[in-house]
Amino acid sequence: MNSHNIVDLLTYIELASCVLALGVMQYRRQITQFKPLALFLLTRISSFAISMPLLSMAGKQINKHLAYQLYFYVYWASYAIEAILGFFIIYSIYNLAMAPLRGLQRLGRLMFRWAAGIAIAIAVTMAFSPHVTSAKFIIRAVTQLQQTQSVLTLCMLLFVCLAIRPMGLSYRSKIFGVSLGLGVMATAELVGAAWLSHFSSLYSLYNIVNGSAICIAIVLWTSYLAIPEPRRRMIILPTTSPFLRWNQISLALGDEPGYVALGEITPDMFAPAEVEVMRRAALKMNYPVAN
Amino acid sequence: MKLIVRIFALTLVVTGAVASTHIANASQPALGARTSALPVPMCPPDDPNACGIADPSFTGR
Repeated sequence: MNSHNIVDLLTYIELASCVLALGVMQYRRQITQFKPLALFLLTRISSFAISMPLLSMAGKQINKHLAYQLYFYVYWASYAIEAILGFFIIYSIYNLAMAPLRGLQRLGRLMFRWAAGIAIAIAVTMAFSPHVTSAKFIIRAVTQLQQTQSVLTLCMLLFVCLAIRPMGLSYRSKIFGVSLGLGVMATAELVGAAWLSHFSSLYSLYNIVNGSAICIAIVLWTSYLAIPEPRRRMIILPTTSPFLRWNQISLALGDEPGYVALGEITPDMFAPAEVEVMRRAALKMNYPVAN
Repeated sequence: MKLIVRIFALTLVVTGAVASTHIANASQPALGARTSALPVPMCPPDDPNACGIADPSFTGR
């Protein structure tokens, strides 16, 4: 079996494992909980459904130039969609992990949105350079976006790993499983990019490593989604805990504040209806005195 | 078991961090590829040879 056959085999395994993972999600009714992950798998399946016939029919049933053009745009468009969905997967994992601490969850969400927005803007800006063709621009922008998402994913994996006990989770929980699978993909992505910048001729080996990594990630997801997870433990924090204090502060941060009028207030500052309400209230309050 | 899982996760994070340092120090902008066994189309879409897509050993480059 040569490397080309191994790559072909891995492609089929990847497609089958994506379908299986989506099937398990549907069977376990977890699609609503992990909607971005389901969309991610669906994008992969759709991309395979278009790319694989194109690769096999190129130069035979379909003109090879047309087949390559279609393959190019399908590949990079689905890669970009997957990178963006990756951000949403991280976001949903964060939301689920932080669900018991609403205040910190809200604060983290705000920070995440800003970080993701800035990262996307930097990725697109860095793709611009003089004399860059549209094809190169697409490749650079999508690659940069994916690398940023991979770094964020690894940060999230580290966070989940460190905060797993304080959050009442265990290593058998789905939140950890999904972030671990995503971490495998992110590491493969970053190692692949570093590898290509040094050894630009080992494409077959690169494809084999990449194909194996995604199969491992999807198998991890499928296993974690299929196996029932232990119940989330109750989080007990001491009253002096900084987590608790920051959570309370964060809860109060977004509230609409009350207003206090200071200084001299004249009746013309109020609307006629407000003046009428105050006049009636004053009359009611004065009523027993008047009698 | 917990320790193995924890070490595995931390290894992933450290490997990713080292790889991203390599990418940042690369002389040319590093062009990655999707984590998949599918060939990566690196040639422009109007490539005169269609990047060799019709060849049995098509790698996308």
